[in-house]
Amino acid sequence: MTSAITSTPIPAATPGGKPDKRGVDDYLVIDTVRKEFDGFVAVDDVSINIRKGEIFALLGASGCGKSTLLRCLAGFEKPTAGRIVLAGADVTDLPPYLRPINMMFQSYALFPHLTVEQNIAFGLKQDGMAKEPCQRRVDEMLNLVQMSKFAKRKPHQLSGGQQQRVALARSLAKSPKLLLLDEPMGALDKKLRSQMQLELVNIIETLGVTCVMVTHDQEEAMTMANRIAVMEAGRFRQIGSPDEIYEQPNSRYTAEFIGSVNLFEGKIDKDEKDFVTIACPTLPDPIYVAHGVTGFTGMDVAFALRPEKMQISKTEPAEPHNKAHGIIEDIAYFGDHSVYHIRLDRGTKVMCNFVNQQRWASEGFTWNDPVWISWGDLEGVVLTS
Amino acid sequence: MPYFWLLLFFAVPFLIALKISFAKAAIAMPPYTDVLYWVDGFPVVKLRGENYLYLLGDSLYINAYLSSLKIAVVSTFLCLLLGYPMAYSISRMAPATRNIALLLVILPSWTSFLIRIYAWVGILKPNGLINNYLMYLGLIDSPLKMLHTPIAVYIGIVYAYLPFMVLPLYTNLVKHDHRLLEAASDLGAKPWQAFLKVTLPLSKAGIIAGCMLVAIPAVGEFVIPEMLGGPETLMIGRVLWQEFFNNRDWPVASAVAMVMLALLIIPIMIFHRAQAKEMEGKLT
Repeated sequence: MTSAITSTPIPAATPGGKPDKRGVDDYLVIDTVRKEFDGFVAVDDVSINIRKGEIFALLGASGCGKSTLLRCLAGFEKPTAGRIVLAGADVTDLPPYLRPINMMFQSYALFPHLTVEQNIAFGLKQDGMAKEPCQRRVDEMLNLVQMSKFAKRKPHQLSGGQQQRVALARSLAKSPKLLLLDEPMGALDKKLRSQMQLELVNIIETLGVTCVMVTHDQEEAMTMANRIAVMEAGRFRQIGSPDEIYEQPNSRYTAEFIGSVNLFEGKIDKDEKDFVTIACPTLPDPIYVAHGVTGFTGMDVAFALRPEKMQISKTEPAEPHNKAHGIIEDIAYFGDHSVYHIRLDRGTKVMCNFVNQQRWASEGFTWNDPVWISWGDLEGVVLTS
Repeated sequence: MPYFWLLLFFAVPFLIALKISFAKAAIAMPPYTDVLYWVDGFPVVKLRGENYLYLLGDSLYINAYLSSLKIAVVSTFLCLLLGYPMAYSISRMAPATRNIALLLVILPSWTSFLIRIYAWVGILKPNGLINNYLMYLGLIDSPLKMLHTPIAVYIGIVYAYLPFMVLPLYTNLVKHDHRLLEAASDLGAKPWQAFLKVTLPLSKAGIIAGCMLVAIPAVGEFVIPEMLGGPETLMIGRVLWQEFFNNRDWPVASAVAMVMLALLIIPIMIFHRAQAKEMEGKLT
């Protein structure tokens, strides 16, 4: 299963859209990296090739091993087994201070006794750069993150967003071959977060620096990354572009981890070449899926349906299948859309999104209304694991 | 209320000593003249500066001050050299072992200071622990003279005041964010460079506090030079004792104490101002 996932072809239409060149694909090679702590396996034989200029996100709940993997890349942890090769050079055994890799730390780890300028210059001075080119580089970096005005301030005199810019400038100053971001938005409030996400991506893409980030926030991963690896228990559960991960989850785990989903457990009823039906005890009629699946009749599967892929109506839809009747139990009103929690006649509860395209549209449905839900033949995903 | 205690325990004794320093020795009870007396119902204050002039005129006092300062500075430096690695390693221990190590640092001070210094007499004397052991090993034929030398004074002061260096340093170092060292390493600093550029500057406040706590009492130290030092070890604490108890010249003794206070208070005030400035920077 794992090998099948890692070899998932990268579609040409990934964000960035640049054509792949030979050798570019394996800019950063993580080859069966394993990390154990006193017998506990934090990273379990993980392999991935990361392209030059890519922003790659490791996404997972806390304790899934994503931070440990990042720390292996930075050099703070030594892998128990496996190799890490960056731009053709094996860096596995190099200490952090010899790696051409820089990290933006979670909550930034800026040096409190140094000014903004001195923080950014720290790495350059460490390389023995002369005073003048060093100052020029610092100015360039300050300009890049729009912090020139704050050059002489100390970190504690800056707001969270400003500190983040300094941290970014510091980690980019040495033009690293690989940039690591550890929960880059973790210390920012929600509004600033969405603004900084795009800004960070712009800066990283302008410089063309390859980037591996760690986050537990799926929105952050989806907004910023070209590719996401969903991690669980030290392994990659799925790797793909944000839309692939969302629209084509490969397991119940990723389907439930990314976004919200309604899962209908059932068995394959009819297994034809161009369609299948799935019999679910929780639905009155079998689900009709308008494509074939690799499986067999009687196989246990789950049908995953995102809440926004469903329609809600007061009258019974005309289609012969893919519909169910229930009553509205709960309503979550978000302004732009509402989420209806509907108790189906056979007792299961499903979530259904409704975009409030017209003003006051949400008033059309209220608690305890009997409603119909329905969905298209191609809108759900059949999960076999 | 706290001001009352301050007044009672610090200001009043200080003012009395200050008053005596301006009086003149007399064979009386108490053994000095009054500074304030009444003439025809009017209070008259007579301040005599001659005690201070006397101190300036006699090289014994100046030498004693200089020698005290030198001994204090050198022992403070030795304490720092010994105490910093101790504090650093304690701050890096697991919390459980850390507490044991701290306890071991503090534990000796639960016994009497005098007894501990006296124990050093037993260790350093000609037929003491060290000499007997060295002779047993055959490394020396006759005992080394260690007791009643300046070295013994240094050993005593460093031994006695080491906890005062270790504790403030530890309090500072234990609060350091380990990720700062990782950040330094990430940016290309080898471990020793990271120490010099990050840990050391960030522990400045701890170093200053520790040095103050060691240097200030060390300047006025009396017991250690008296018990471990030789006749040539000149320290202001001893001079003070001699003036007071041997010469029974309370006013000169008080003047010696006042000058010592003045010598100490100037660096403290400089330190305090520097600290206040730093705090100000942090708040704005």
